[in-house]
Amino acid sequence: MSAYILPLFILAVIVVGFCKRVPVYGSFVAGVKGSLELLMSIMPYFTVILIAVELFAVSGLGGKLEELLTPLFNALGIPAELTQLVIIRPLSGNGSIAMLQTLMDKYGADSYIVRCGSVIVGASETTFYVATIYFSTVKEKKLRYAIPVCLIASLTGAVAACALCRVM
Amino acid sequence: MLAGGLIFLTVTAPQDAFSVMLTGASNAVELALSLFAVYAVWLSVLEIMDKAGISKAVNRLFSPLWKKFFKGENDKALEYISLNFSANLLGMGSAATPMGIKAMEQMSKGGEKASDNMILFLVFNATSIQLIPATVIGMRAEAGSGNAADIILPSLIATLISTVTGVVLAKICAKISGGGKKLPLSKG
Repeated sequence: MSAYILPLFILAVIVVGFCKRVPVYGSFVAGVKGSLELLMSIMPYFTVILIAVELFAVSGLGGKLEELLTPLFNALGIPAELTQLVIIRPLSGNGSIAMLQTLMDKYGADSYIVRCGSVIVGASETTFYVATIYFSTVKEKKLRYAIPVCLIASLTGAVAACALCRVM
Repeated sequence: MLAGGLIFLTVTAPQDAFSVMLTGASNAVELALSLFAVYAVWLSVLEIMDKAGISKAVNRLFSPLWKKFFKGENDKALEYISLNFSANLLGMGSAATPMGIKAMEQMSKGGEKASDNMILFLVFNATSIQLIPATVIGMRAEAGSGNAADIILPSLIATLISTVTGVVLAKICAKISGGGKKLPLSKG
């Protein structure tokens, strides 16, 4: 069913466009042009973020943070096997998907660990990436309380995920 | 994070430092290509939606709600905010991003510090508001799960909890900071 949503939606937009005499071809060209400009303005920002994420993961800094946070996460009900996933989730979308896949291969798709991990990944976003992209084209670069609020909210979601998977 | 990671790596494995940075940068190139493809399609669709008046129609549906959350923003900003949320709810995250960027541009006043509304909008987007986590369900199905979709309900509740937490915290911080002078302590 869900496979139809996207193509039908786009088709509907184009049909309505035709009916309202919108220059569909011209709009598409303008859209592609706009996306090039958009990419040019956001790419420098996410390049730096991705370099930082790679350094963070490979250098062992991530491992140290994991050691540090495991007791705290444990106290909040997040299993030790998922600490790394919770840390990497706000940093890298691909990274967290890859990690979830590793967990699936190791524990099986229906284990508690994997169900928890799936909910954590499915119910959250790549906070740092979203923040970087959304603020890349505007002048405002001081995000004040934004990042701490997002991270605490995501952590609350992860804690809720682990609790919910125990009963559901 | 960049400096921290680099210092750490220079101490532990100096020979790897440069290649790791290159890996990060080439990840960015890959991401850029796929983003370009996604944005090219969605910005085009958005262009048609704008011209055909569909954006306005979507906005009319949701604007009473968003006007409450984002006080003082103009109609164009609310329009993009409505589109961004609709795309997010439907799990079209790739479509939500370009619309979100446009919403931010509309809300921007050109100052140095992000406004409370801009941060609130980021919080909504960074805590995820999608109804069905399709990617993860697909992964579980492929891994041979007996009931791959049984995470829908817990995901929905978890994302609701995180979004509500985020919005409440953001509102509290907006109240406390007023002009925005100091960051609250982070435990994440």
